[in-house]
Amino acid sequence: MDIILGIRVADGTIIATSKAATRGISILKDTDDKTRVLNKHNLVAYTGESGDTVQFAEYVQANIQLYSMRENDIELSPKATASFVRNQLATSIRSRKPYQVNVLIGGYDTKSNTPSLNWIDYLGTQVELPYGAHGYAAFYANSLLDKHYKKNMDVEQGLALLKMCLKELETRMPIDFKGVYVKVVDKDGIRSID
Amino acid sequence: MNSIAQRFSHSSTSNVLNEINQAQTEFAGTPQLELAPTIQLPPISQPTDFLRAHTDDASNPDCKIKIAHGTTTLAFRFQGGIIVAVDSRATQGNWIASQTVNKVIRINPFLLGTMAGGAADCQYWETWLGTQCRLHELREKERISVAAASKILGNLVYEYKGMGLSMGTMVCGYTKKEGPTIYYVDSDGSRLKGDLFCVGSGQTFAYGVLDSEYKWDLTVEEALYLGKRSILAATHRDAYSGGSVNLYHVTENGWIYHGNHNVGDIFWDIKAQEGSFNNVEG
Amino acid sequence: MSRRYDSRTTIFSPEGRLYQVEYAQEAISMAGTAIGILSTEGVVLACEKKVTSKLLDNDGSAEKLYVINDNMICAVAGMTADASILVNNARVNAQSYLKTYNEEIPCEILIKRVCDIKQGYTQHGGLRPFGVSFLYAGYDDRYQFQLFTSNPSGNYSGWKATSIGANNSAAQTLLKKDYKDDLSLKEACELAIKVLSKTMDSSNLNSEKLEFATLSLSKINPGQVIHKIWKDSDIDSLIKESGVLDDKNTDDD
Repeated sequence: MDIILGIRVADGTIIATSKAATRGISILKDTDDKTRVLNKHNLVAYTGESGDTVQFAEYVQANIQLYSMRENDIELSPKATASFVRNQLATSIRSRKPYQVNVLIGGYDTKSNTPSLNWIDYLGTQVELPYGAHGYAAFYANSLLDKHYKKNMDVEQGLALLKMCLKELETRMPIDFKGVYVKVVDKDGIRSID
Repeated sequence: MNSIAQRFSHSSTSNVLNEINQAQTEFAGTPQLELAPTIQLPPISQPTDFLRAHTDDASNPDCKIKIAHGTTTLAFRFQGGIIVAVDSRATQGNWIASQTVNKVIRINPFLLGTMAGGAADCQYWETWLGTQCRLHELREKERISVAAASKILGNLVYEYKGMGLSMGTMVCGYTKKEGPTIYYVDSDGSRLKGDLFCVGSGQTFAYGVLDSEYKWDLTVEEALYLGKRSILAATHRDAYSGGSVNLYHVTENGWIYHGNHNVGDIFWDIKAQEGSFNNVEG
Repeated sequence: MSRRYDSRTTIFSPEGRLYQVEYAQEAISMAGTAIGILSTEGVVLACEKKVTSKLLDNDGSAEKLYVINDNMICAVAGMTADASILVNNARVNAQSYLKTYNEEIPCEILIKRVCDIKQGYTQHGGLRPFGVSFLYAGYDDRYQFQLFTSNPSGNYSGWKATSIGANNSAAQTLLKKDYKDDLSLKEACELAIKVLSKTMDSSNLNSEKLEFATLSLSKINPGQVIHKIWKDSDIDSLIKESGVLDDKNTDDD
């Protein structure tokens, strides 16, 4: 029942992830951050099988940072980052013990000054989207975003749209997800929004 | 996860039993050289499937081996450090195997690990964790952080994911750098830092009492009582928890043991003192 | 003295040298010259064909110039057979990077990977090192046009203009004299011809003794790299246009 949501706007990408960490019928933690910083302009948000999620996110995080260490602090672009993650999941699905992890990657390409949102599932499907979500949240949020998302919205308008999504999720989701952490990836890097 | 694994595995319980019988007859026919060294192997092709088929209560209620599962354990952070409280009952199916199990593993004088799930798994891997922590100390000339210790355990159980390990544990400790710290680690591979956790079949009952009375500013005495009272609540409602309460207080100088409290004795004292448990006559 | 230490690549001599690696480099300095020049509009690679015979029946394709991927080409000096192993490796590496990251491999990363293989044979295995030096011409969006060389030791370096193979020091002196930062691609081509005409032993220059390739950007499709390995007729007309033959004639007079 984890929620992860992403909205790409004109000058950045917004990522929202639910704070609840649930095991069985108990919420074990209400301050769980389901994101990892891959590099200055790439943020991965994840859901899926517990254990696999963090292991996988930290694995790609380490590899992407290793790339920058080897290549004179050159940052992997969002497109390359997403392709790398997709490749890892596509390899994993044919292995003995696949990672059951779905991710969103919010990125900002500093070369072309374009924000991006990449949606990748555990099967290795990758798409670049204006907005996207995984899990149950997708069932409510996608239709709402289809209706209200406009091209060339700025971050403020994107956050207002996100608020609409969250209001809907709070009223209709059967389980309290304890609110969300909201992060924005733009030309200045990654920042948290209160 | 288990349901997915099940869907793709072809061996049902009866298949496994057939396989064992077949293997045993095969082995019996092989002439053994006297005094030649031999290695004992499980006579099955998929040990993980075998273990799951015979121990997983959830997917097969008729399973032959019942791993000790029922438990209530809790740990919480407060102004004065950390309180750790656990029950002491071990059950195998509906059979109470023991009323005096020690479910707190003393990893070292500054670290405690709690035990829920498979008793053997917890005991073995948490003592193993103790040796890893000691090696860290010898190599780095510094006590291991709670974060690092819990990550060693978390990574270890993740390696065994899907192979039948069953653990729900809290690694509790106090270091200069981190202050009082609790990490929840389970056999799924989850590892969560937090202020308050209850783990085991009685977790919900313990949460019920603990959440309602918990404050950061609790005194040590109040906190110890709350820990004890929460486990008592769980032993009262959860058939798989019981025996006695073991209490610990973790401070910057290490952990202090606050005794073993028999549930049968403290129940009546507390009932009388609090005027609670009014569903019970007597 | 050196006899005791040079039979194994992996052992230092008492003077701290690896003879086998040095011999490999020596062998290359006798191979046909290859020069590369960076210009504002692209990169030129030109090399001298050593073996020419009327009886040789090839399809007219280049022997010492290879396309590595969509934005890199390279020229070889040394043992062509060794080169083809490394070129194949470079091509596989470039494709594998493209598959993983969905982006063309940055030039330096690819060169580094090839050089890691070369380096390996100077340290372990007891095998002989690769007897080839490369000139790489490439384009990527990090540093635009680039020119690199690599040698059997596994070292690589970036250049504005350089040369490998026979007479490379003479060629480099000429390049140092005539190279300017604002060369157009055409001027770079002519400079390449001019330098080769002076460093090559043979008297009259023609397409039979030369191989030529350029790397440039498409004027229609921005960001698209064009690599061209020249046809004999194109080389001949370039030689004519550059006027090196005229100079020779006047010299003769």
